[in-house]
Amino acid sequence: MSYLCLENVVKTFNKTEVVKKMNLEIKKGELVSFLGPSGCGKTTTLNMIAGFLDVDGGSIVVDGKPVHLLPPNKREMGMVFQNYALFPHMTVFDNVAYGLKLRKVPKSEINQRVLEALEMVRLSGYEKRYPKELSGGQQQRVSLARALVIKPKVLLLDEPLSNLDAKLRQEMREEIVDIQKKVGITTIFVTHDQEEALAISDRIAVMYEGRIEQVDTPVAIYNHPQTDFVSRFIGEVNQIQGHVVETFSGNQCKVSFDGYHQVLSCPGTKDTLIDFYLRPEKIQIYQEHSEGLRVRVERKMFLGAKTRYILQLKDQQFIADISNTVLNPDQIIEGQDVLAVWNPEELLATKK
Amino acid sequence: MRKVLPKACLNFFCILVYIFLAAPIVVVLLSSLTTTEYIVFPPKGITLRWYAELINHPEFMQSFTLSIMVALGTSVISTIIGTMASIAVVRYEFRGKTAVTQLIGSPLLIPSVVFGVALLQFFSWIGLAASPVALVIGHFILTIPFVMRLVVASLVGFDRSIELAAKNLGAGRLRVFFQITLPVIKSGVIAGAIFAFITSFDDLTVALFIVSTDVVTLPVRIYTYMQYQYDPIITSVSSIMILLTVILMVVIERILGVGKVFSSKN
Repeated sequence: MSYLCLENVVKTFNKTEVVKKMNLEIKKGELVSFLGPSGCGKTTTLNMIAGFLDVDGGSIVVDGKPVHLLPPNKREMGMVFQNYALFPHMTVFDNVAYGLKLRKVPKSEINQRVLEALEMVRLSGYEKRYPKELSGGQQQRVSLARALVIKPKVLLLDEPLSNLDAKLRQEMREEIVDIQKKVGITTIFVTHDQEEALAISDRIAVMYEGRIEQVDTPVAIYNHPQTDFVSRFIGEVNQIQGHVVETFSGNQCKVSFDGYHQVLSCPGTKDTLIDFYLRPEKIQIYQEHSEGLRVRVERKMFLGAKTRYILQLKDQQFIADISNTVLNPDQIIEGQDVLAVWNPEELLATKK
Repeated sequence: MRKVLPKACLNFFCILVYIFLAAPIVVVLLSSLTTTEYIVFPPKGITLRWYAELINHPEFMQSFTLSIMVALGTSVISTIIGTMASIAVVRYEFRGKTAVTQLIGSPLLIPSVVFGVALLQFFSWIGLAASPVALVIGHFILTIPFVMRLVVASLVGFDRSIELAAKNLGAGRLRVFFQITLPVIKSGVIAGAIFAFITSFDDLTVALFIVSTDVVTLPVRIYTYMQYQYDPIITSVSSIMILLTVILMVVIERILGVGKVFSSKN
């Protein structure tokens, strides 16, 4: 049963479709990220769900009721803005209480719910402060409390962490997930930071040029990208070309990577070239091995827990990230020839 | 240590400027206390006689009330329309926006005398006699550029996402305006209202062209009185005007802080 439904949602600015017939179903209590580069339509979509932008086609259904024709103040959505958007002339208490006052909640209940909300975001005791007296992270927490205190049907987070510094960003994202799970609220999280999306989402909707490229769990998005864009956008990839030397029944074929032969399950025709993507951490290198792709170690970069090796094959470069507990980087000398090996299942077929 | 001398010079210069600014006020205040029949500074003796004398001049009280009413009316109308116009100019794109902005700002460029003549012509053409309404119309045109300057300044850099946040929390358009937008630009709006009030209350040039024998504002009254008599009543009236302004400023300072009002920040 989906709780929030986008059906063929379209948005046009100056005759350009910025959101193209978008369809998405979100279950109750689920945290779904909209992930994509800037200009992919993720914030536009969020604004349409919140009601700040009109939809130019299609419908948005929440809990079985269409909401896309309602004004934003009737939609019961809680939004957290990138720049927090706290009311500067109100105290923290009044900021959080604002939505409850509009709902004519009795005063004693307002008091109790605001204090609970502030406790949830660990800001008890800050009631009388003004927003400008708070740090960025604290302001963001107030903003979260303000959105949640009205018990909205959906929580919308518009790049809520992008104005925070790296360390705080990690803390805050864990806190957001904790609170989201505790409250069990259906949440949409807009971000351009893939690590953030991978870390917190139940599912990720990867968006590109106004379309959803793929909606899947973080693991599936990373390991089984369905489109070229998703392969290239999520994580890092090497692009590698193989030559089909033999085909078997059942979509099996033998592919040669410059003499390194592997049997893969992929559709192919004999004597054609196929492009694959391969993640840097899926490559192992050996000084001696029964088989593998012979490459030269151009450079190595120590990155703490792992080392990044830049591998040269003719005029092409690959990167391989290998944990230092698996391979001691001191054993590899720059300029040396090594064998690069990977599991054929790790090759991601490109979609042409 | 080397910086002591320049700093002393600067302080000295600042004090001179303050004296220069405050001196006329002090002179007026002190000379209103003189016991002589003519204005003299320093005053000879001290008496409140010239204040008591005002009772025999009800026309001053009348003019004073008129001026206050006109200034209040001007201030209210100018602030409301000026604020709405500022929001339109800052937030929306429309045909002739530049023309509108220039037109509204133009009274600042036209000499008040020219403007007064034009108003006189216009009022007699549409058949509007000298009246408080005519004065308010004239002063409205005179003060709207000030109001708009100040309100526009407080709207620039206004983060509109707080309005979206309020809508998102359930506020309709009117609530958003009165509970969110207006309180945030409050300082600019209040500064505009004060400017409008003071400009109108203070105006002589434009009012001269509009007043008639029974509709006379206080500055015009003082001016015409002085043409025939030169006794300390003038200074006592002026002193009362000064004191009123001071009280107004103190009240605003107490409520808001003048610094806040004029810095156009929250």
